[in-house]
Amino acid sequence: MQRREFEMKDDRIQAYLRALEHKLWLRGSSNPEIMAEIESHLLESVEAGRRQGLNVEEAEQQALERFGSVKVIANTFEKERMNWMQNILLGIAVLAGLFFAYVDSRPTWDDTGILAGGLLLISGLLTLLGHRKPWLIALAVGIWIPLHDIYLSHDFRLLLVLLFPLIGAYGGWAVRLGIRKTLHLA
Amino acid sequence: MLGEALKGHLDLLLLAILSEGPAHGYAVIESLRQRSGNLFDLPEGTIYPALHRLENQGLLRSHWSEDSLRRKRIYQLTPKGQGALSKRQEEWKKFSEAVNATAGI
Repeated sequence: MQRREFEMKDDRIQAYLRALEHKLWLRGSSNPEIMAEIESHLLESVEAGRRQGLNVEEAEQQALERFGSVKVIANTFEKERMNWMQNILLGIAVLAGLFFAYVDSRPTWDDTGILAGGLLLISGLLTLLGHRKPWLIALAVGIWIPLHDIYLSHDFRLLLVLLFPLIGAYGGWAVRLGIRKTLHLA
Repeated sequence: MLGEALKGHLDLLLLAILSEGPAHGYAVIESLRQRSGNLFDLPEGTIYPALHRLENQGLLRSHWSEDSLRRKRIYQLTPKGQGALSKRQEEWKKFSEAVNATAGI
């Protein structure tokens, strides 16, 4: 019923909702409940405008202006989602780093190339997914191996291992930035 | 400028409005506008991510109401939200008193 009611109205609000849904989808924040809630809000706002004496077109214009531009609203939703995701991504980074350090500490393990590739890839993936601080991800993933080895050997040159997660993290961050610019999300 | 300043305190304002009773998003933003004498005039859509976050934190809960012509998502304060509101009100009181004292207001 709500959809039919909505379709009877000018397609300006419909176009706004489609544009917003698309932007939210591109940012991974699209959700039918969110869209239903926004639609309900806009229709109520149009009705309020009509009660103030505006015609349909003016009331819709006012409702959309008050609600905010598609870009502003999509950015606000994305910002909230990414704030929530930061700690989860950091937690995954720490767990992955501890796992790599555990594998590296096994006496039977001697494939440094796979380990370096793993540090690089997981760091890159986590910043590609949206962590905003590449240096922090690199540290969270990469610090455990040198810490363990320095404890045993007192050789601080082992800190060079951090280069792999640093390259990966900044690489993932740069790719994400490029994708966002290409899709006009930045 | 005011909009940016307001964002840092939006949670407190939303919790305070909802402490007076359950309401849907449109009513919350209307209340925010009216109580502030139209000074707090954020883009209306920006309150929804904040409402959803407060719900995810367990400070609000929501349900869809079907008792009017249109479905509305109604938000209400939880006991945890009431506690968070009291804490934030106290923090704001201390902060604003300190600013006023420092600025000679």
